[in-house]
Amino acid sequence: MPFSPLRGEKVAEGRMRGGVHSPRMLTLEHVSKRFRAGNYGVRDLSLTLTGGVVGLLGPNGAGKTTLMQMIATITRPTEGRIVFRGEDVTRKPEAIRRTLGYLPQDFDAYDNLTALEFLSYIAALKGIRDRARITAMLELVNLHHVANRVVGGFSGGMRQRLGIAQALVNDPDILIVDEPTAGLDPEERVRFRNVLAEIGFRKLVILSTHIVSDVESIATQIAIMREGRLVRLATPTELPRLEDAYLSLMRAEVLSAES
Amino acid sequence: MANSALSTQHSALRFLAIAKADVLIRFRRASTVVVFLILSALAYLWVPDPATGRALMQIGKARALYNSAAIGVATALLGTLFVGLAGFYVVSNAIRRDAQTRCGSIIAATTVRSGEYILGKFLGNVLFLAAFFGGFMLVSMAMVVVRGEAPLEPLIFLKQYLLIVPPPIFYVSALAILFESVPWLSGRFGDVLYFFVFMAGIGFATVAALEGGMAWAVYLDPSAMSSVLMQISAATHTKSLSIGATNFDASQPPLVYHGITLTGGMLAQRLLSMLVPLPLLLIARASFHRFDPVRVKVAAKGQGKWLSRINAMLKPLTRWLGGRGPVSADAAMTITSAPLIALAIIGSAFAPMPFVFAALAIAIADVSCRDQRAGTVALIRSMPRLRERFVWWKLASAGVIAIAFLAIPAVRAGARGVIPLIAGAFFVVAAATALGVISGNAKTFIVVFLSFWYAVTNDGGASPALDFAGFYGKATPAVVAAYAAIGAGMLAAAQLIYALRLRRE
Repeated sequence: MPFSPLRGEKVAEGRMRGGVHSPRMLTLEHVSKRFRAGNYGVRDLSLTLTGGVVGLLGPNGAGKTTLMQMIATITRPTEGRIVFRGEDVTRKPEAIRRTLGYLPQDFDAYDNLTALEFLSYIAALKGIRDRARITAMLELVNLHHVANRVVGGFSGGMRQRLGIAQALVNDPDILIVDEPTAGLDPEERVRFRNVLAEIGFRKLVILSTHIVSDVESIATQIAIMREGRLVRLATPTELPRLEDAYLSLMRAEVLSAES
Repeated sequence: MANSALSTQHSALRFLAIAKADVLIRFRRASTVVVFLILSALAYLWVPDPATGRALMQIGKARALYNSAAIGVATALLGTLFVGLAGFYVVSNAIRRDAQTRCGSIIAATTVRSGEYILGKFLGNVLFLAAFFGGFMLVSMAMVVVRGEAPLEPLIFLKQYLLIVPPPIFYVSALAILFESVPWLSGRFGDVLYFFVFMAGIGFATVAALEGGMAWAVYLDPSAMSSVLMQISAATHTKSLSIGATNFDASQPPLVYHGITLTGGMLAQRLLSMLVPLPLLLIARASFHRFDPVRVKVAAKGQGKWLSRINAMLKPLTRWLGGRGPVSADAAMTITSAPLIALAIIGSAFAPMPFVFAALAIAIADVSCRDQRAGTVALIRSMPRLRERFVWWKLASAGVIAIAFLAIPAVRAGARGVIPLIAGAFFVVAAATALGVISGNAKTFIVVFLSFWYAVTNDGGASPALDFAGFYGKATPAVVAAYAAIGAGMLAAAQLIYALRLRRE
C-alpha cells in the first residue's frame, strides 16, 4: 500500500510543506475556456506545477472547477495547452487519464450499489483488479464496516468518503479533488487532509476548497483565482509577508463563504 | 501483437464492468419489480380461458389451439410490444444517471473510451431486457400449464422466443442509447417521439411487407409482427391475425398452429433485424457528450436549438403569469418553464379532441415529479401544509393546466359531451399526478397514456369502454363513472405511497 491509513493525527509541518522533488509534471500555457455565451470560465491562465498540494482558492464563479475539469480532460480548453509530462493532454488525454484520480464537486454514487460494488466498478474502469487494494481504500476512508451496504442508505459524509476512495483507488500520480471535505465532520476532515498531505509529498494534488484552513495547513502552493484569472500563486509562507490589500479582501470573502 | 490483445482484453473488461453495474442498478430498483409484475399480470390476462369466449390468438376466423407454439408466439409478440414501449422508458436513463450522480465525470477522467462506454451501456440494456424477457417467458410458459390444451413443449416454446425476441431487444437497447446521446432527443420531446417511431415502425413494416410487396420492410419492424404475419399468410392464405384476449367465433373449430417455421430465410431475416439498429450506436458515439459540462447542459435541457428559440420567443408572453397561491404559482411554473405549452393551449381551441388530450398529457407529465429532478423537494416540504398535501397540490396544479387546455373544447362539446370530457380530463390529470408521484419520473405516465391514447384513437369509438373522454360520443354513464373511479383510485394509491414514504423519512 502506497500510504498508510492515518488516524486523524496532524502531519508534521515541515513534511507537509517541503520536500517536493518531483520532476516537472503539469504545465498550463495560456489556457482559456470560453463558453458559448461569450463569457470566460478561465482566462489566459499559465501555471507550472511540479508536485505537492496545490490549493485553489477563490470565490464562487472564479473558475476553479472549470480549471480542474480541463486538467481532468472532462472539458477542453478553447485556447492554450495543458501539458502533462511532455504530452499535450488536449490532444492525447490518455496521457493524464492513465494516472489520474478525480473527485468532482457534488459527487453522488449509485444508490443501488453497495460501497464495495461501486468501488470495484470504478476500479475495474481504471484497470485495477486487486481486491486487496479496494478493501484497503474502504478501510482508509473508514467505510470497511459498511462495505456491503447499499449507498442509498449512506449519509452525505459517507458518500463523500466513498468519492475520495474511488479517486485514490488507482494510486494516482495526479489527484484532482473539488471541494473534497464538503459534508465531512471535523475528525474526517482532518483525517482526509492528512491523507492528501501524505500523497502530496510524493505526487501532485490539486485541491479546490472554500475552507481556508484546509489549504493553509497542507498546501505547498496556493493559487488564488478570480473571474477566471490566476491572481496569485505563492507558498503559504510567502502569503503572510505579502499581505496586500487584494489578498486580504480575498481571504475575507472566502472566510465569509466558509462561515 | 501481445499489446493489442492486452488492450482488447482491457477494453472488454471495461465495457463488461459498465454493463454489469448497469444491470445490478436496474435489478435493484423498485420500478423494475413493478414493471415485471405488470407484465406477469398481463401474461395471465392475455391468455384467457376459451370458455369465456375470448382467446389469445386468432388466425383468420378460427382461434388457435392453446399449445406451446401458439402461446409462445403470441405472448412473445405481445411481450415485444410491451417491452418495446415500457422497456425503452425503463432503460433510457443509463447515461443521464451518470450525469446526475457525477459518476460520468469520474468515468470521463479515466481511460475508458467513449465507444467502450456506449457499448457497455448498450450491452447493459440488452442484458437487462433479455433477463426481463426471460422472466416473462417463464411466466408465459406457466400459462401453457394453466390454460394449455396440449402438453407443454419447452423447446418449442423457447424456439418461438429465440426467433422473435432478440431483434426487438437490440432495437430498444440501441435506440435508448441513441436518444440519450443526441441532445435534442434526450428530453420529453424524445420520449414522445420514440413512441411514434416504434408504433410507426411496426405499422409501416407490416403494411409495406404484406400489402405493398416490399419484403425488405420486415427489417424495419422491431416486433417481428410482419415476419410472423407473412409466414402465416403464406401458409393459411389469410392476412388476419389477432393477438391478445379477443372474442372469437365458437362455431369455428380451433386451428392447430405449429409456430414459426425455421427456414434459412427466416433465420437470416431475424439475424439481420438484430444488426439493423447497430449503426445507430455509431451516431450515439458521435453525439455522446462524454460528460463535458458544457455539452451535458444542452442535453439536460433536452431541447434542440429550434425548440429553445421558440420557447425563448414565447417567454415574454408568460411573464404576466404568476400566482398568489401555491396552486396557481405551480401551474404558472408549468407554462413559464416551457412556454410552448401556451401555444398548445391556444391551438387546443381549434384542434380535434384526441390531439388536445395528447398535448395536455405531455404538458402535465412532469408536474408531480419535476421537484425531484430540480432538487427542490426539501424546499417544498418546508412550506406550510405542502408537505402533507403534496399529491393534492400537484393534482390541482395540473388541473389548472387542464382547464386552460379544455375550456374552449368543453364549450364546443356542448351539454351532452361536457360530462364525459370532465371525467376524461380528471382521469388524465389524476393518472399524470399519481404516476409521477409513484414513479418519480414523467416517462411512466407518457408511455402508459400514449399507449392507451393510441388504442383509443385506433378503436375510433368502436368500443364504448375505450371512449374515456367522449371523443366519439360513445361513452356511456357507466364508462364515464368507471374512468372517474379509476382516476380516484390512482390518486388514493399515490397518496398512500407518498404518506408511507414520508413516514419512512
